[in-house]
Amino acid sequence: MTALKPLGRAILFALIGFLIGAGLSAALVEAAGRDEMKEPIIAGGYMFALIGWLFGVGVWGSWVREWFGATVKPFHIEGWGRYLGFSTDHKVIGVQYGVTTIVIFLLAGALALLMRIELADANSTLLSRTDYNTVMGLHGIMMIAVAVAALMGGFANYVMPLMIGADDVAFPRLNALSFWIVPPVAVLLILTPLFGGMDTGWTGYPPLSSQGPTGNLLFLMAFTTFGLSSILGGLNFLATIITMRAPGMTWSRIPIFVWAVFAASLISLTATQFVAYALLMVIFERVFGMHFFDGTIGGDAILFEHVFWFYSHPAVYVMILPAFGIELEILSHFARKPVFAYKWVVRAFFSIVGLSFVVWAHHLFTSGMSSELHGPFMVLTELISIPTGVVFLAAVGTIWRGRLWLKTPMLFAMGVIANFLIGGLTGLYVADVVTDLNFQDTYFVVAHFHYTIVGGEIFALMGAIYYWYPKITGRMYSERLGRIHFIGMMVLYNVTFIPMFIVGAQGMNRRVADYPAEFENLNMFITVSSLLLGLAFIPFVYNMVNSWIRGRKAGDNPWGARTLEWQTTSPPPEENFETQPVVVEDPYGYGDPDAKHFEFPSGSGHVAEPAGGDD
Amino acid sequence: MINRDTVTVAIIWIIATVAVEIAFSFVDLFPAAASEEAVIVDDAFYFLTYIAIPVFTFILVALSYSIIKFRSRPADDGGPPEDGPPQRTHNAWVRGWMLVTSALVVTVIIHPGLTGLWEMDEAANKDLDFVVKVTGVQWAWSFNYPDQNITSPELVLPNDTHVRFDVTAVDVVHSFWVPAFRTKIDAVPGLTTEIHANITETGNYDDDINFRVQCAELCGREHAIMQSPVRVVERAEFNEWVLSKQ
Ligand code: HEM
Ligand SMILES: [Cu+2]
Ligand SMILES: [Cu+2]
Repeated sequence: MTALKPLGRAILFALIGFLIGAGLSAALVEAAGRDEMKEPIIAGGYMFALIGWLFGVGVWGSWVREWFGATVKPFHIEGWGRYLGFSTDHKVIGVQYGVTTIVIFLLAGALALLMRIELADANSTLLSRTDYNTVMGLHGIMMIAVAVAALMGGFANYVMPLMIGADDVAFPRLNALSFWIVPPVAVLLILTPLFGGMDTGWTGYPPLSSQGPTGNLLFLMAFTTFGLSSILGGLNFLATIITMRAPGMTWSRIPIFVWAVFAASLISLTATQFVAYALLMVIFERVFGMHFFDGTIGGDAILFEHVFWFYSHPAVYVMILPAFGIELEILSHFARKPVFAYKWVVRAFFSIVGLSFVVWAHHLFTSGMSSELHGPFMVLTELISIPTGVVFLAAVGTIWRGRLWLKTPMLFAMGVIANFLIGGLTGLYVADVVTDLNFQDTYFVVAHFHYTIVGGEIFALMGAIYYWYPKITGRMYSERLGRIHFIGMMVLYNVTFIPMFIVGAQGMNRRVADYPAEFENLNMFITVSSLLLGLAFIPFVYNMVNSWIRGRKAGDNPWGARTLEWQTTSPPPEENFETQPVVVEDPYGYGDPDAKHFEFPSGSGHVAEPAGGDD
Repeated sequence: MINRDTVTVAIIWIIATVAVEIAFSFVDLFPAAASEEAVIVDDAFYFLTYIAIPVFTFILVALSYSIIKFRSRPADDGGPPEDGPPQRTHNAWVRGWMLVTSALVVTVIIHPGLTGLWEMDEAANKDLDFVVKVTGVQWAWSFNYPDQNITSPELVLPNDTHVRFDVTAVDVVHSFWVPAFRTKIDAVPGLTTEIHANITETGNYDDDINFRVQCAELCGREHAIMQSPVRVVERAEFNEWVLSKQ
């Protein structure tokens, strides 16, 4: 029961906060003589509720008290209970993020299936058009949150400090804060249907988002809050990688995944602030009656689109860069070969980061922005193909003439190559202005971005889950179920999304519950295969839960991998390594009998089991 | 780096590429193209696809070949197989690859990228026959013909003409899209945007649903059904329609 205390206190504080905030706002609204306005009360209440929640869950007790000279009580609970409170251990936070994002992923996946069932026939039957919009928007924003937070919040948090031989991240309390900001986001999103739903999709373009149901306000506040979490995470990872590397871990020796996290963090830290401003301005439109984006009263709707995509394009690289990192990491360890062209890949990552900031307006080719901008943004966008191509070459070069060990993580990593190939190549058509004039806002785009986010990142996420599962849980998953999951997901995923390219090219636009009856056959096909795709996740969930409880002990290094996270116990002790490892070379010395990534100062430290373990 | 594996992959790749290119040349993805712009768009699509196919087959062939050929048994204790060769990089390959991909990128930037823009511009600069003022409002379109002085909920256009659409919106952002013409432009409150169509084919919604004005930017509850029928008719028929409306 003590484990639940912080949560109970947090909920209580949140409620008290809400009442205070709502009361104050109501008084202000009353004083201004605008009794009809409800949204300021909700927004004010939420702001205080958020603060109350964070204070209650542990920010007060283990952080803020210090500012007033009082002693802080570090959070210390053994066993499962530690996952329910304000723990500052990056491994606990990684698991908190990981489990939360997987749950949201499954929920949002269920929403996707609901949409697909609605789309089985041409009319709106199951869902009204309003409800469809809500379901679609919630699926979108929840999945975006998963895509941004699962690899970065979950795996980068858990694994990155271990990989660089650190005992934690640079700012452990900030790390906990950035996780505990996420549950309020989920609560807001789950409440939107009770407030009239949302009708803007995850992009929330005004003037639509500054009108319409109060659900839109909840969505805007959720997105803004989530942005704060990502900014803090990015800051923390950068500081960690810069300052906490083990002795000898020079920049040319850090694992490729760590480079990917570094590059992605640069984007999270800087770009997210822009979308937060844009969303806040829409919130101000709703709450204070301002008009930034309404062209009929002196505002400009296209301005929002620019600022929104100034974040949201780079954000896709927050999703895909860590996925590239994981892909290459897994390929190397399971092909028993060094990451091919390591330095070129690092250069490619940073070229991608740089270019990602100057291509946003490719989302605006049909927006009515000045057509002089079309050419430059098209050219810049297509340039990204060059560094992305380098990542492909590295992937193929890594497995080429290797000794491929086709375990589940490896299967998923190779799935990323195949799927992201389709995602990347179809990107050409939406980067080219002329073809985009047709494809923009059709199912072609829907297929394209699912190929990048699901085919690229979610496949990498699955690979990461299987790869680090034995490290995190100390137990081995069932290889058979893992393979069934992979084959089911790979086949059905492609069968579901390839037809979306076709139906889009034939003229079906997106974000619709009704469509011309001509498209019914293809849509029926997509719906059936998406339902089967949903079934492919049953062995996954079963495997994860069952193996955590009953799986056999995995050993410290079941994959015989050379990076540091495998050179400590599974799961690692709270301080990560019993003695500080010293790094002597990069971790990819496969095939070289003299290669050695690290050493533990002699006579001390945990000696890992020899590579292999028992399988 | 020339050895049996690379040669085999190169041969399979060439065969696969030729096969896929030929197969693709039979694919007809798009509905009828009813304007010069539509032809430009479709041509660009096909050109891009012909360029993309060799890249697609290269990666897939190399990947599949590796899975089949380089798959290894685990060690006897169930641990990882023995190590592969300590190949860290191969600068000639990386440079060669970057040269090829850069060349492809430059190609598609120039064509169909910049030439496509230029062709669109050319088409827009042809002699204009008339203008239709399009207004989007939640959740309907209205079409005003200033020269003819009529307003209609249905978009009727004469064949073989160059029409400019001046598009705007009253409430929220919408997007004006006629799939048969392939191009779209947002309808933004407080702003007038424009697109052109050099119409080349007759057709109507009852026979081909791509003759429809479809709102293509989410605009709230009835976005899905914010459509209007389009009819492209011969000049004489258009004149009759105008008379009947005036
Ligand atoms: C079971 C697998 C999935 C299916 C069947 C599915 C299906 C759909 C459908 C039908 C839409 C509406 C498309 C539209 O009209 O714009 C959609 C939108 C979207 N999906 Fe998925 N999806 C799946 C998984 C995912 C995943 C894993 C992600 C990301 C991690 C994702 C991200 C999105 C986003 C961002 C949108 C856009 C929503 C918006 O426009 O606001 N989806 N999906
Ligand atoms: Cu983008
Ligand atoms: Cu619309």
